[in-house]
Amino acid sequence: MKGPQETTSEPGKRDSVLSQINSFFTSVRTTITLLFLLSAASIVGTIVPQTSSPEQLSGYSSGVYFRIAVILDLYNVYRSWWFVLLLILLSLNLLGCLMRRLPAIPAEWRGGFSKSNFSFAVSHPGDVQETKNRVLSTMNRLMGASARETRENGFAVISWTKHRVYLLGFPFLHTAIIIILLGGLVGLVYGTRGHVLIQEGDAVSAFESSYGQVRSLPFQIAVDKFTLSHYPSGEPKEFRSDVRLLENGKEAVAGSIRVNHPLTFKGISMYQSDYRVTGLREVKLEAQDASGKKSEFILRPKGKMSIPGASYEIELLSLDPGATGRGAGVKIGVTGPGENRTVYLHRKDSGPVQIGDVKLRFLDYTPLYATGLQIGYDPGAILVWIGCGFLIVGFSLILFTNHRQVSVKIRPEKTGSRIEVSGRSKRLRREFREQVEAGLGAQLRENLRRNPGTGNTKNVDD
Amino acid sequence: MTSTELNTYVAFGYFVAGFCYLGAYVSGLLGSTLRKPVLVMFLAVFAAHTGSIALRWVESYQMGIGHAPLSNLYESLVFFAWTIALALVVVRVRYGTDIIVLLGLPLVFVVMAYTFFLDSSIRPLIPALQSNWLVAHVIACFLGYAGFAVSFVAALLLLAARSSTSLKQHLPRIDLLDEIVYRSVLIGLPMLTLGIITGAAWADYAWGSYWSWDPKETWSLITWLVYSAFLHARITRGWSGNRMALLSVLGFAAVLFTYFGVNYLPGLHSYF
Repeated sequence: MKGPQETTSEPGKRDSVLSQINSFFTSVRTTITLLFLLSAASIVGTIVPQTSSPEQLSGYSSGVYFRIAVILDLYNVYRSWWFVLLLILLSLNLLGCLMRRLPAIPAEWRGGFSKSNFSFAVSHPGDVQETKNRVLSTMNRLMGASARETRENGFAVISWTKHRVYLLGFPFLHTAIIIILLGGLVGLVYGTRGHVLIQEGDAVSAFESSYGQVRSLPFQIAVDKFTLSHYPSGEPKEFRSDVRLLENGKEAVAGSIRVNHPLTFKGISMYQSDYRVTGLREVKLEAQDASGKKSEFILRPKGKMSIPGASYEIELLSLDPGATGRGAGVKIGVTGPGENRTVYLHRKDSGPVQIGDVKLRFLDYTPLYATGLQIGYDPGAILVWIGCGFLIVGFSLILFTNHRQVSVKIRPEKTGSRIEVSGRSKRLRREFREQVEAGLGAQLRENLRRNPGTGNTKNVDD
Repeated sequence: MTSTELNTYVAFGYFVAGFCYLGAYVSGLLGSTLRKPVLVMFLAVFAAHTGSIALRWVESYQMGIGHAPLSNLYESLVFFAWTIALALVVVRVRYGTDIIVLLGLPLVFVVMAYTFFLDSSIRPLIPALQSNWLVAHVIACFLGYAGFAVSFVAALLLLAARSSTSLKQHLPRIDLLDEIVYRSVLIGLPMLTLGIITGAAWADYAWGSYWSWDPKETWSLITWLVYSAFLHARITRGWSGNRMALLSVLGFAAVLFTYFGVNYLPGLHSYF
């Protein structure tokens, strides 16, 4: 409620505070300051280790620096209150600048001509009609657009406008940033990210979010198989998880998840991120009997089996995936007539192990994998992509179009006519001025070209 | 000849071309008799450079692991040098400034020479890089970097020209340098934006998040912020001269850190 006393006692101050706030949010100086502050803050974030909790900053856990880091969330800069505040201020500032600039655009769109970048005048011996025809023929070609003719104080004023679509570049670019920041905010509030490790053959319906909470999924992820393949040269070629997504126990989707090829279901995306060897699927062994005959066989965990051609039973005890120079190895329990021992078989070099009459050799193994999937749900992403589209449209308009206007006033003189030209260009101002000067100069047989930089025309390049 | 051998010749070619530019400049003939011959020489080396990139692409297909030669530090540096050389050609043709070529060539040579210390073998693409976004992302980023590199060279010349009148006589006009400093950023920033957007799209496919604040992402954003500030200062506040040139130098420092520096910080771009 505005009391009369208030308005009379400090109207000036009130105005100035409001206008200061207003100018803060509509000023490009603020934008530039915010851009630099955001850069500085981002640098801090790449120097101070970013963790999800300050306790993880071991080694820094005492002293004044640690306290400053905790107060300012330096261990989590990009989600800290002050970084988000900077982003909100930037959005408001962009909005302010948009609001300030938008109202002028329709007038400019309709061909309004406020300030010119250059102007010059020249006399021509022909009469007004002849001069006008000459100007029209040059300028229509140069501007690729037809002229608009008005009269001012009885004299003809002809104007041309080209590429006014350029004017949309500014709103597109700046709205784009606001939309992207909004999308980021939506993602921060409503989105989830996390990770889950699933062993082959298992199914899960929950994952651990990046903040350490267990989140449930509206479906089950069942992993049938994880495949790791290599190039002949040894580099990894493909990581693939074959999965089925189950809803109420029924299969809804079956497919594979590979690096760079996520699977999306009900807005939730699953990405291949890592894997672990958690156990052993099967081991391929070779038995050679006394006569030298070799036979391969497969040994699986859990359960005993007899060695082909011998009266021994073996069982798989454990796998060593091969940290030592002897390569992968398995521990096998052997039971038989008068024997109950444990043998180690290694893939490389160690040679066969004699058990009774049989020589046992380790050929290969298939590990049991657990696949690590990244889980992501981000309803803000669509806004971000719309914003990115706007950015590309905005930059394309600004780079590939150029709003140009020329206005020519012709009036009769004692001998011939006087031509007054003024022009305006959003980009490439020097080039545009030179183009107009050269075009009209050739047409009117006058040298209108000036030495660059010494001309008396107003020449503020871009 | 393999592409790696060809690259060695290309690097020395740039060195020789740079030397000839310097010789022509010192002898005062860069503006007259020698102007064309040194340009032809530079263009010939540039053509060989283009050929070596194409050759490497073909070689990878012959090895059965075909992919665009943009998959490791060696290949990206060769491409970076190529984009800088391309930007120099564009500036030379557009503005006729031989001195920018003279100053840009050592930069190209240094980048090419640095590749001598790197593993140049053609390796198959690891799963993380098997994406259609790779080519678009890398090309857009490096075209942006090249624009910034040209702006940087012009900014150094501008600072030199403004600091002493004796230097000024030997350099292009200040308003021309100012224009090059500004316009190359005007090309570079949209390219970097496109690079960041394609990178974000790729990251969304590969890592499940369009933005993870990985150091490389963060530093590319810092670079973007600095050049955005540059354009705003220029367009709406009318900055020019020294302040503009210093901002361009600062921006290029951010570019270099984005490219090389972040390798010393832990992050997701570790294969580059």
